[in-house]
Amino acid sequence: MRRVPLHRRLRLLAATLAAALLALLATGTASAIQPGGITDEARLMNDLFWIVTIAGLIVFGLVGAALVYAMIRYRRQNDELPPQFHGGGKIEAAMVGVPVLIVIGLFTISMIILVQIDDKAEDEALTIDVTGFQFSWQFAYNLNDLGTNTDPNAEGTIAVIGTPANDPILYMPVDEPVEFLLKSNDVIHSFYVKDFLYKLDLIPGRVNSFTVTARETGDFSAQCAELCGTNHALMRFTVRVVERDEFDAWVAAEAARQLGDGALVSTSGTQGD
Amino acid sequence: MATVAVPQLSGYHRPAVLDWIMTVDHKKLGILYLYFTLFFFAVGGILALLVRTQLAVADNSFVGNDAYNQIFTMHASAMLFLFIIPVWAGFGNYLVPLQIGAADMAFPRINALSFWMLPPAGILMFAGFIVDGGAADGGWTAYSPLAQQTGVGMDMWIIAVIVLGMSSTIGAANFLVTMFRMRAPGMTMFRMPIFCWTMLVTALLQLLATPVLAAALVMLFIDRNYGGQFFDPNGGGNVVLWQNVFWFYSHPAVYIMILPGMGIVSEILPVFSRKPLFGYKAFVFATIGIGGLGFSVWAHHMFTTGSVLLPFFGFMTFMIGVPTGVKIFNWLGTLWGGSISFPTPMLFAIGFVSMFLIGGINGTYSAAVPVDFALHDTYFVVAHIHYVLFGGSVFAVFGGLYYWFPKIWGRQLNERLGKLHFVLMFVGFNVAFFPMHMLGLDGMPRRIAVYADSAGWEALNMLSTGGAFLIAVSMIPFLIAVVMAFMRPKDQPDDPWEGNTLEWATTSPPPDYNFDSLPPVRSERPLFDARHGDEAH
Repeated sequence: MRRVPLHRRLRLLAATLAAALLALLATGTASAIQPGGITDEARLMNDLFWIVTIAGLIVFGLVGAALVYAMIRYRRQNDELPPQFHGGGKIEAAMVGVPVLIVIGLFTISMIILVQIDDKAEDEALTIDVTGFQFSWQFAYNLNDLGTNTDPNAEGTIAVIGTPANDPILYMPVDEPVEFLLKSNDVIHSFYVKDFLYKLDLIPGRVNSFTVTARETGDFSAQCAELCGTNHALMRFTVRVVERDEFDAWVAAEAARQLGDGALVSTSGTQGD
Repeated sequence: MATVAVPQLSGYHRPAVLDWIMTVDHKKLGILYLYFTLFFFAVGGILALLVRTQLAVADNSFVGNDAYNQIFTMHASAMLFLFIIPVWAGFGNYLVPLQIGAADMAFPRINALSFWMLPPAGILMFAGFIVDGGAADGGWTAYSPLAQQTGVGMDMWIIAVIVLGMSSTIGAANFLVTMFRMRAPGMTMFRMPIFCWTMLVTALLQLLATPVLAAALVMLFIDRNYGGQFFDPNGGGNVVLWQNVFWFYSHPAVYIMILPGMGIVSEILPVFSRKPLFGYKAFVFATIGIGGLGFSVWAHHMFTTGSVLLPFFGFMTFMIGVPTGVKIFNWLGTLWGGSISFPTPMLFAIGFVSMFLIGGINGTYSAAVPVDFALHDTYFVVAHIHYVLFGGSVFAVFGGLYYWFPKIWGRQLNERLGKLHFVLMFVGFNVAFFPMHMLGLDGMPRRIAVYADSAGWEALNMLSTGGAFLIAVSMIPFLIAVVMAFMRPKDQPDDPWEGNTLEWATTSPPPDYNFDSLPPVRSERPLFDARHGDEAH
């Protein structure tokens, strides 16, 4: 560093910029307190999130520091023309090589994690039929497809149907794989549970599915993530993860309420399709 | 350099208004483009303030849900289709012929046609607000089937975007012919100013991608009005088809919106570092690389549809980081070892580099497919797009305005006001958009008109709204500087900044047909060569 005192205004400017960049860096680190997620799959995604974040912060720190250093160190001090350097083979090769290495590394890690997340559901997994509609949700459970404790001879379906004013609750058991089948009959919606760190679209004309295993009980807020019309913002729901016996008790109570004693009438599709 | 006025045909002078309407001069058309696009920047900005006001507090009822959907749809539509894409046509129109030493664009009348398609399209799109059912409200992405449900404002939006696309397409052809055929003697392709190169790649993208958008919009129009079933699964159509075709245009369009901004920054940094652009050819190939890769990444907007090939599009999206990284090195290498001064254009150029760096880094989150599952359609993505298109493109627009203002209008913008403008906008921008990263991580979806108090998003939203209003305040010193400049006489010399490229070899502003004579072109910096002689190389 040359010992020439910095011009006051220039120093102010450089300090402002440096402070702004540092503040961003600090808030970036502190803010990225991404919820760790409550499912096995979410925890894998969270690992990847941190890998990308650390790589990004390193790149940001190095480039930002170089930028601020260059602005201070190479500020104009006289009329002498600086060396007219156009670039060179080795440096330009590094310009390509470094980003290539970074992105191939990140891509490889992403794919490894994607494969783990995409592991197909076990057949015995509980299946929940999710139908999005303007502007709420229906969650339907087939009584012969309830995962463990399923009575294969049971018939009928129980369903929870919400309204924009009355958010529905999606019950699911903890510590076992749950498969979601996503459907829509009107426009595109997106099933987004923040604490799953996951979303998947509900698309008219196709059925999407994914499987998660929740590891924490509790209530988790969720909502539609694809613009679907006037009350898109009100298309909220709650995911309630409970112990298996609590889940079974809820199913039994709903079956009795919706189907009556032994009545095997399906109530799904009552949203009017 | 002395310039002799071209003799006028004696007697008749058109009234000034008629002259502006009938002109085929690339400089006047360029100025018209700039006025038009800056007007819609203001309109889009006001809509953004309405959005931010609505979101400032939880459970707000400032605007209704329907109105909110119209407001944010038209905010994006104005900013993308009526400001940022055509503003580059404005800079390009003014500068490309000057920078390559030509008298005008190759097809001056087609050039006028390109411009005059814009005002009717802008009026048509915004007239949606006064028709039954209101303006388009399906988002600027107009996803089908939602886009089938809305009122006639949507049809007006579709026609407007088709017309704007036609304007871009013929404008692109004009730019390409101009650059391929009308360069000054001695100006090989690899001596062409870097801004021209970015306009060239942008024009190629527009020529190849925009007709695809037009096709998609025509299908949507037929679906809406004549019972077509292109996007209706009940009639054998496919909902996801719209997204594929739309993003096949709209992802390259993101580069259409940023590449010329990179070009402007790459003109400004060398001038105020008093060094050549570091790695000129690498920059050109990186620009071409971004353009090429831009056509193979569209489905990264569709990872959560469950119907795209994730590894391919994830890989290609990561690969975009390579030419982008090269450019960051180009800019750093240009500053490195230079003799750097910091007038207002330089501040905006450095602001661009630092903000675009963040916009590049937060983009990698969406390339990492599993992370995108969490962040897609949340405010994290809103932060990303604004770091690229505001921290990037808009900073470049203002850098370019401050840099070329003396050339275009023959007057200098006040430096103190310019610096105040920069500082307010830089701070306001980061306060407005950085918190959106946190909101996205905390699960706030984009495009929601209201959020519950219990969601815990209010404090960051309030902060973001404050930043948005600070950006609006930052326009005050800019406008004062413009008014002050126009109250002064045209006193600028040919080359106030010690520029490198040919536009600085003529008067400020340039006369009709631009040049009497040109300096020899033996490198990409003919004016530097003229000042310093060849030994400085």
